[in-house]
Amino acid sequence: MAQAPASAEPSAPENGLLRRLFSSGTGVIALIYVVLYVLFALWDHSALTSGTVVNLANNAAPLAIAAAGETMVVLARGFDLSVAGVISLTNVIMAAYPMEGPDGAAISLLICLAVGGMVGLVNGYLVSVLKLQSIAATLATMIICQGLALVILDAPGGTVSDFVADQLTDVVIGVVPVAGLIILVIVAVWLVFQRTAMGIALYTVGSDEVSAQLSGISVSSTRFIGFVSAGMLYGLAGFMLSAQTATGNPNGGASFLMLTFAAVALGGTSLSGGRGSVVGSILGAGTLMLLQKVLFAGGVSSFYTGIFQGTVLVIAVVFGGLITRLSERRGAR
Amino acid sequence: MNASIAPRLLAYDMAKSYGATVALEDVSLQLVPGQIHALLGENGAGKSTLVKILSGVTRANRGAMQIEGHPYNPASILDAREAGVATAFQELSLPPNLMVSQALLLPNLRKGPFGLVSQSSCDQAASEILKKYRISDLSPRDEISQLTLAQRQRLEIARAMSHATSLLILDEPTAALTDVNWLFSLVREQTAAGLSVLYISHRLAEVRELCSSATVLRNGRSVADVDLSIASDADIFRMMVGRSEGSVRPAAINNISEMPITLELDHLKGSKLKGVSLKLRKGEILGVAGLEGQGQRELFRALVGLEIINSGTIKVNGVETELKSPRSALEAGLAFIPEERKVDGIFPSLSTAGNVVLPILSRLSKSGLIWPSQENKSASVKAESVELSFRYLDFLISDLSGGNQQKALLARALITEAPTLLLYDPTRGVDVGTKEAIYAAIRAYAENGGAVLLYSSELPELVRLADRCVVIYGGKVFSEFSGDEIQEESLVAALTGHRGDQSVAHNRSVA
Repeated sequence: MAQAPASAEPSAPENGLLRRLFSSGTGVIALIYVVLYVLFALWDHSALTSGTVVNLANNAAPLAIAAAGETMVVLARGFDLSVAGVISLTNVIMAAYPMEGPDGAAISLLICLAVGGMVGLVNGYLVSVLKLQSIAATLATMIICQGLALVILDAPGGTVSDFVADQLTDVVIGVVPVAGLIILVIVAVWLVFQRTAMGIALYTVGSDEVSAQLSGISVSSTRFIGFVSAGMLYGLAGFMLSAQTATGNPNGGASFLMLTFAAVALGGTSLSGGRGSVVGSILGAGTLMLLQKVLFAGGVSSFYTGIFQGTVLVIAVVFGGLITRLSERRGAR
Repeated sequence: MNASIAPRLLAYDMAKSYGATVALEDVSLQLVPGQIHALLGENGAGKSTLVKILSGVTRANRGAMQIEGHPYNPASILDAREAGVATAFQELSLPPNLMVSQALLLPNLRKGPFGLVSQSSCDQAASEILKKYRISDLSPRDEISQLTLAQRQRLEIARAMSHATSLLILDEPTAALTDVNWLFSLVREQTAAGLSVLYISHRLAEVRELCSSATVLRNGRSVADVDLSIASDADIFRMMVGRSEGSVRPAAINNISEMPITLELDHLKGSKLKGVSLKLRKGEILGVAGLEGQGQRELFRALVGLEIINSGTIKVNGVETELKSPRSALEAGLAFIPEERKVDGIFPSLSTAGNVVLPILSRLSKSGLIWPSQENKSASVKAESVELSFRYLDFLISDLSGGNQQKALLARALITEAPTLLLYDPTRGVDVGTKEAIYAAIRAYAENGGAVLLYSSELPELVRLADRCVVIYGGKVFSEFSGDEIQEESLVAALTGHRGDQSVAHNRSVA
């Protein structure tokens, strides 16, 4: 019986954790974060106090959660602009209809998740069933959500319930910020999700839609689930933003639109799909927020923040691209 | 064959069209258990469409299929697998981001506790498949993106085999394979156990070695069922091509070999080009023939700087020239009509006249402005030479039929007044009348001293137009025909890597 040509034993791909981290971009952004934090600590001696850490976590949480959601769509090769609309909408709902106490907070959270999930359902329907381009479909839902937010609250104002505003920005067990805990939960869920068939399908659809279909993956239901989970995460982001600002703003989500994509790209997720991770996006969001603090600590006027954020984005993407190319060249046979 | 055996696959009266393009018109096919049946036909005969329908990728407009006597009409790959039908696709359907084990098992990855995908049981199941199909140089954890083309092809085949319980479809399974014996011995084992195989390949020697019978497709119809032990290669080529009618060659211009050379390629090498050398003279139409993926696309793209050239030289009018982009090619005198009219050719939001005059805008503009009347005036001259009606010039080009769009594109190439035309399948998907107009325009261009490099997927076209014709096979010029030697039968043989009549006989005896 003929044997398959035993071409030279394939050089075992080095599946070391470091290589995987760096080729996925997560390593690059983690490194940038650490470097920035060291700078921060050098310039500001309170950088290592628990108060600063809690503050950082609270600041970064809404963007980090929104970026995590966006990643679910981007990985499957899509764009979701509705992130801005959902955050505005859930924020004004929190401010216009505050519900006191832990039960009220739980119900508010459920409402936010439901609103986000509904928008995600609509996006998923438009994109995977009606085959609209994701950027057009989600632009429409974003505008609708912004409009709804204005109907609910026509000017910045309202008050978020004290329980939400106080407890969610606080610490538990003395040191752990609640916002950080929530992000850890998202990371944990993500790490599990990555190992489900659906998680693998999400990457596969983004990397090669035709092959995915020919391999028996349902492309449309995969995209659908991506949009719905993204929407729910935007709802959670709106919830956390409300906790942080304690008030409502019908345009509160607008500033998130560009920063969310910046965080996703910064975290090493390919905007053409198939490569990246939620963890990277969360670190990307953290980096964008940390950068503000570092610049402040370094005495740079806040007017320059945008310039630095953009520069860091370029550096991270170029660096990540270089590393991917290097690892591919090494792996190529 | 025993009449009491229910056919494994029965398909009859199958038809499929994509919009106005008819891919399948009337195809019938029958396979009995344990049979290896070949599907033969030229490019565009409908083989791929039939494969897609049988595999559940797309659905037929008409006709019916049965597997073991049960109606079979798969809506998806998974439906087809359910019925025991699996396909190894020509274009290889392995998602690059996956590991070998995942690609083999999708969408039913092995689950561990809590419904999570268990890597170890996936690995185990995958290594059993790899072992069963004797793939020794792959391990379940290898990443698809790191595999060679040959390794991917074997993986694709092994995956299809692992899913196929009644019918296995192999679409050009040896295109990238270095060792065909691996495939042949596996196929023979599987068919001995009762599996039926539909085998699509343009390598007739292989088909003869493996298959007992074949169905020949031509222009979307199944024209013959052939017993391969009886039919000769020449018979089969004739059936694939059909009777050639109405292809009258114009009298060849006899002094062409004395004309100056406008384009000379010397050992051009690139990703798919393995050293192409050819010369194109003034006043000459040089035909290029080749089966899908033999390097002809890369050759044309290399000439307009869209494909990277690793070595070799291009001389235009005797001067070595670097062609970095379509623009620099145009400056050097090479005008290119690309293959994908809709994607790479037209600008759908512009008028027809606007499309035609694009390359000469700088000549047209008056103090930086361009007036529609000026566009129309310039475009109308060339519109006449391609028989494009003037009334279309004001229309949006996207409102025109495919044939008229193609005429406009030819006019656009002509308006540049480039001395050399590079035409890549210029009559694909256009009607007969348009074809005639395009032929006449190409002919007239050559007679006026222009040089034409013409690739066509339709052999009659080359027979009719070309003064000389080269056949590209495996990234090289495989053989060259000139004048009356350009006949469909000889071209078809050369397309599939047969050289002359002796070697046909030789290949048969090898088989």
